[in-house]
Amino acid sequence: MGDTGHAQYVLEMRNISKNFFSIVALDNVDINLRTGEILAMVGENGAGKSTLMKILSGHYPSGTYQGEMRVAGETVSFGSSRDAEKVGIEMIYQEISSHHDLSIAENLFLGNWPRIGKTPFLNKKKMIALAEEAVGYVGLDVDVNEPMGRLSTSQQQLVSIAKALYRKPRLLVLDEPTSALTQNETDRLMEILRGLKDDGISCIYISHKLDEVFAIADRVVVLRDGKNISTYEKTHIDPDKIIGDMVGRQIEEMYPKVEVPIGKVILDVKNFTVPSKIPGKNLLENISFHVREGEILGLGGLVGAGRSELVNAVYGFDKKINGSVFINGKELKNATPKRSIRSQIGLLTEDRKATGFVGTMDVKQNITLARLDKISNSGFLTSKKETVLAKIFFNKLRIKAPGIETGIMNLSGGNQQKAVLAKWLMADSKMLILDEPTRGIDVGAKVEIYKIMEELAREGVGIIMISSEMPELLAMCDRIIVLYKGRIRGEFSRDEISEDVYMKAATGITVSDDKEE
Amino acid sequence: MYPRFIVSENVMSNVELKSGDNENGTGSNMKLKKAFRAILRNKENGIAIPLLIVVLIIYLINPVFLKFDNVINILRQSAFVFLIGISMTFVFIGGGMDLSVGSILALSGIITGLGLLQGIPIWICILLGILAGAFTGFLNGIFVAIFRIPSFIVTLGMMYVARGVVQYLTRGVPVYPLPEKFNFLGQGYVAGIPIVVIIAALLGIVGHIVLQKTIYGRSVNAVGGNLETARISGINVVTIPLFTYVLNGIASGITGIFTAARLGSALSNSGMGMELQVIAAVIIGGTSMFGGSGSIVGTLIGAIFMSVISNGMIILKISVYLQSVVIGSIIILFVGLDQYNRKRQGTV
Repeated sequence: MGDTGHAQYVLEMRNISKNFFSIVALDNVDINLRTGEILAMVGENGAGKSTLMKILSGHYPSGTYQGEMRVAGETVSFGSSRDAEKVGIEMIYQEISSHHDLSIAENLFLGNWPRIGKTPFLNKKKMIALAEEAVGYVGLDVDVNEPMGRLSTSQQQLVSIAKALYRKPRLLVLDEPTSALTQNETDRLMEILRGLKDDGISCIYISHKLDEVFAIADRVVVLRDGKNISTYEKTHIDPDKIIGDMVGRQIEEMYPKVEVPIGKVILDVKNFTVPSKIPGKNLLENISFHVREGEILGLGGLVGAGRSELVNAVYGFDKKINGSVFINGKELKNATPKRSIRSQIGLLTEDRKATGFVGTMDVKQNITLARLDKISNSGFLTSKKETVLAKIFFNKLRIKAPGIETGIMNLSGGNQQKAVLAKWLMADSKMLILDEPTRGIDVGAKVEIYKIMEELAREGVGIIMISSEMPELLAMCDRIIVLYKGRIRGEFSRDEISEDVYMKAATGITVSDDKEE
Repeated sequence: MYPRFIVSENVMSNVELKSGDNENGTGSNMKLKKAFRAILRNKENGIAIPLLIVVLIIYLINPVFLKFDNVINILRQSAFVFLIGISMTFVFIGGGMDLSVGSILALSGIITGLGLLQGIPIWICILLGILAGAFTGFLNGIFVAIFRIPSFIVTLGMMYVARGVVQYLTRGVPVYPLPEKFNFLGQGYVAGIPIVVIIAALLGIVGHIVLQKTIYGRSVNAVGGNLETARISGINVVTIPLFTYVLNGIASGITGIFTAARLGSALSNSGMGMELQVIAAVIIGGTSMFGGSGSIVGTLIGAIFMSVISNGMIILKISVYLQSVVIGSIIILFVGLDQYNRKRQGTV
């Protein structure tokens, strides 16, 4: 094949190398993309995926890297992201950046608003009409005049996808697009992507969710340490091999689930009613459940089912209408975070940046935050005690950082998560609530988090795990409760549960249907 | 077999002992090196080095600048700003700000002065003045920490309210003459050093220790750094920031009393513009506008820097009217550049 075969590849990136000072971020990476192809790019955090995409999007302008880039056979050099957009390259990032006070329609056409003729005045009617068309692409049923802030995270994500699609790109890059989406929305997105493929639009799909990757990709490229490691055609995809390529070693098993003896009831939650954002309406009613020592209880359901609200209310971080909590048989009255910590309950929230760590502090200070009493003497901090204690958990959780005095913002997501977990372990938590503990962290760190959970269960810690990733929930939990429309829809033991059963309960399809008929 | 995650107190003390042994073995050489490195990477450097350069330049042009009497002058001038700067640093680190300190300063001075004119014992008058400051700060704290009204709005309002109360109480007439014994506070010296400088130094040390070494100081940092994370970690996110405003009220009260004693008269317009001087000192010293980080040492350097500039310009016979131009430029150049650097490094 000659280089002039312009229809063959919509994108060719050749021998791309980039250094940040002495650190090699990309080392002679080659990527090419056929027209109408969905190419998945996988690799652990730091493998170079983001850097490569930032080169592709013009974020790192030409001249700051070595190598050649061709779009539809023609050599291109981008000076800015505008240049990349001009040739039809659109990016959808994991972190949604939208203006909450502007309307959905205004967000969709941000900086590109339709005008009345050539005047500087906004053509609102046209904008609304176009916006409605755009949200239609992604099957989003919303009023485009509503402010963006009213939408849930997943709806906002869909809006940003709609925004990119509307510009009719030639090449779409999706970086962890489903991290905030529910299963239904994810399915919808997959459908959209398949549709785009038929229209001849190519996609680069980056995700840690390998099941999605394997379902959608025509080809999978594995990067590690800034290098091409391997490429798999759709027909030759082998999950175990790909995971092995990503981490550079074979992971015998992704989920190190071990049966451990399950002890007495440690946490008993009775008749919990939790309010919704709409005044007078309850999100959850009369929820009761318990957790035993050494048990990992899964809390399932779709995003928005009230899983986080439930555990936050139990912990005393969010409001409740009524309900009582018993810890080791003793009632925990008027739960506040402080009382919960004293009762050895720990809550790792779903959003570590907002409610997990303090960004201005270092790793050590974040680890000791929930138990300042432990590192102090009548109000005065003992830095020696703090260092020693922080180091213990820093080492136990194998946090990767230059030291305990490194600013937490300089850590990768997985290590930040470990630091938050370390905080709750240092607080002697016997009852740990883990809300999406592996969200947005790479495969290696995920496996480590699973291992830590297992080790904790073995020590008799009771764990509640909330996860939107069905495979990990099913693999890690001894028992799963599924919430649907404010109620417990089903409770399943490890033996009873399957993906099928779980999805039926989570989406409200009557579970007993099969049995009755 | 498996690592233990739950560390008992026993394990704790063992490890502690071990690490203690290590420390003893390293000797003082290491400690010196450590201290030196700590100085080098200190974030106050951004402003300490320029300060030293400015001091050196002024001194080289006119050596009078560093004569004992003039140094005392500079320190005394800094002391007033620094006194409030100590607590303002807490307010800023806790994620707030306080525009009412100048008015509280006047209020406390007036209340003390009025009491003194009634012949009430000096120490009771001083106590009343400080209590007035504490109470006003407490009101600020309630609105900010309990009702979650932005501190800018609350303290801007309080700036007017407190100033209005002062003007109502005095009808604009200075409260004087104040007793000699009281005036000694503002005019007297102990071992050749003005009393206000000594008090400011002592309170500065206390403030530094509280901020760096106590649960309270750590909690203020946590609340200002990320309120929700602090709350979930069991930190009281109401009383901790609230108390920073009380501290600020107390410090403003103390400063108001010193100001009255210095002049021998309590003025209704004293402390006007003080809030901006204090805020300037705090941010020149590297304390974050957004909460979560800062230091008392920085604020001290900031306060001294401002006095050095105004004093130095007098010594160099440059028009005093240009002082504000210089101070303003310093804020933009040093604080602005510091912010720019941090943004580039991604630490903001």
